[in-house]
Amino acid sequence: MAQITHYFLKMNPDELRSKLPHLLLLTCVLATAAITLFFIAFIFKTALPVFESQGLGFITGTKWSYSEQVYGIRIFIIGTLVMTAVTLLLAVPLSVFTAIFLSEFAPVRVAGIMRPTIELLVGIPSVVYGIFGLFVLENIFQDHIDPFLSGTLGFIPFFSDPSPNSGTGVLLASTILAVMILPTIIALSEDAMRAVPFEYKEASFALGATHWETIRKVVLPTASGGILAATVLGMMRAMGETMAIVMLLGNSAHIPSSVLDTGYAMTSKILNDIGYYCAMDEPRSALFGIAAVLFAMEIIFVAAARKIGGKL
Amino acid sequence: MNKRTLEGHIFKAISYIAAAITLLALVGILGRITLEALPSLSLYFIITPESDVPGLGGGIANAIAGTLLLSILSTALATPLAVGTAVYLKRYAKPGILVRAFGFLLDVLAGTPSIVLGIFGLLFLVYYMKFVTGGFSLIAGTIALTILILPVIERAAEGAIDTVPSELEEASYALGASKWDTVRRITVPFALTGILTGMVLGIGRAAEESAVVILTAGYTQFMPEFKVLPREGFLFGMKIYPFQDLTAALPITVYRSFEFPHLIPASNGFAAAFVLIVIVMLINAATRMLLWRSRIG
Repeated sequence: MAQITHYFLKMNPDELRSKLPHLLLLTCVLATAAITLFFIAFIFKTALPVFESQGLGFITGTKWSYSEQVYGIRIFIIGTLVMTAVTLLLAVPLSVFTAIFLSEFAPVRVAGIMRPTIELLVGIPSVVYGIFGLFVLENIFQDHIDPFLSGTLGFIPFFSDPSPNSGTGVLLASTILAVMILPTIIALSEDAMRAVPFEYKEASFALGATHWETIRKVVLPTASGGILAATVLGMMRAMGETMAIVMLLGNSAHIPSSVLDTGYAMTSKILNDIGYYCAMDEPRSALFGIAAVLFAMEIIFVAAARKIGGKL
Repeated sequence: MNKRTLEGHIFKAISYIAAAITLLALVGILGRITLEALPSLSLYFIITPESDVPGLGGGIANAIAGTLLLSILSTALATPLAVGTAVYLKRYAKPGILVRAFGFLLDVLAGTPSIVLGIFGLLFLVYYMKFVTGGFSLIAGTIALTILILPVIERAAEGAIDTVPSELEEASYALGASKWDTVRRITVPFALTGILTGMVLGIGRAAEESAVVILTAGYTQFMPEFKVLPREGFLFGMKIYPFQDLTAALPITVYRSFEFPHLIPASNGFAAAFVLIVIVMLINAATRMLLWRSRIG
């Protein structure tokens, strides 16, 4: 400490004035880095004991029992993946075509009103989507959409309805998640499409291509990096979502057999159990293990999105 | 009509339909939430804390106060750190592998699932640091939310600094100003609009977060109190209200209507949701107006 003080006292006031802000700003950067690294290390370190005791069985096992000290999270991983996949199937086509409408077809005034409206909707809290799905959509799914789907497409196992008396399940959760990530994917895809240089499109028109051919062969390929990055971002948001999923997926520990079946997501398992087991070393480590796997998946997707070149 | 024009018309129609579905879904949800909220929405509901109403539900003043405290405090904590980081990265650091690694770290933090941050807060801030934070408390919630919104504000600040014309800074250097003077007098004032936008985004993100808040700030039916009481086992032997006390938040009020469906009417949850959305949108609109006026003046 004395040395540091001495170091500053030795400098003349001008030198001090230029060095001090530099040091202060560097402190901000180091603090941010320290917080982030500590947070990541804390999660993985707390999870370490469960990886040591369960080995690879932690990821491949299907049994989760606190009394037998067996922890396998395959059901939760598949639950999360199925739900995310259905969400993307619903959200991506809808948002890409909406983005095409906004950037290519919409009159300036319509787009001028629609864009801020959609941006404003990013601010709807996920817990609100949750109770909307539960109190409003669940009845509609139970009485109309589930019977209709299993009635018309039920011969495909993917669309059979194992729980006719309930609307909760993969499709309900995914529908809400899709609406939730729509604004994000639309806004980022539209940015990517608008960034396509006008000369490219003019060149395509000059060659006699129609408007749609220009969109399909020039605009979409040029913007594909941005659209892909937007999709990855939406996917990460869907995978990490907790509150709405706890309310809508049904929380029953089995692998969903169809899109109308219930399931259990990784985030829901953590939220439902952490309150009871936070004080016990082994169960706590198992729950942090789920978080660590989720976190690792997220880090991989962030790396992928950066590779594609999208701006997060 | 030939095949090419027909194909164009079909896909144009699909785009129009997609946009219509999106708009209908989003506006429909907002409309339905308002409609469901109406039975509970009254001035009494908004200005009464839940503790003053018999039973559960019935008032959300405690949650409104808690949400404002949490989001404003965490933004106040995160902003200096985020802006300092952004200025250093953009104006002081030499581009290289370290800066890129740091950018990756920030992206990871920005994409962190909120439940992961939530259980970190629960175990580290609430459980291990109990003698400082007081367990589930405003300060634990604030710190966790600060980590959540730090990358949001940092990214906005970086974007804002990118828009500063280099001619202005070069002119400042040409006049003999030092680096710090240029940053302080030219770069930051010019980027202020973007930094403010980032702060508003941060407030909104903190106000709507539920998983992190429920695991760090807990919930209380009472309004925040401002007092200091002696308390064994706490840092300095005293408990400082409201910082070391439980704090309510609007998203948790909404969540409770799901947790206790037979005790709290669903319309209470929707009314709390409605108020939350209105608060976030008002802050947003107010900032836009403020920025718009300052730009004209």
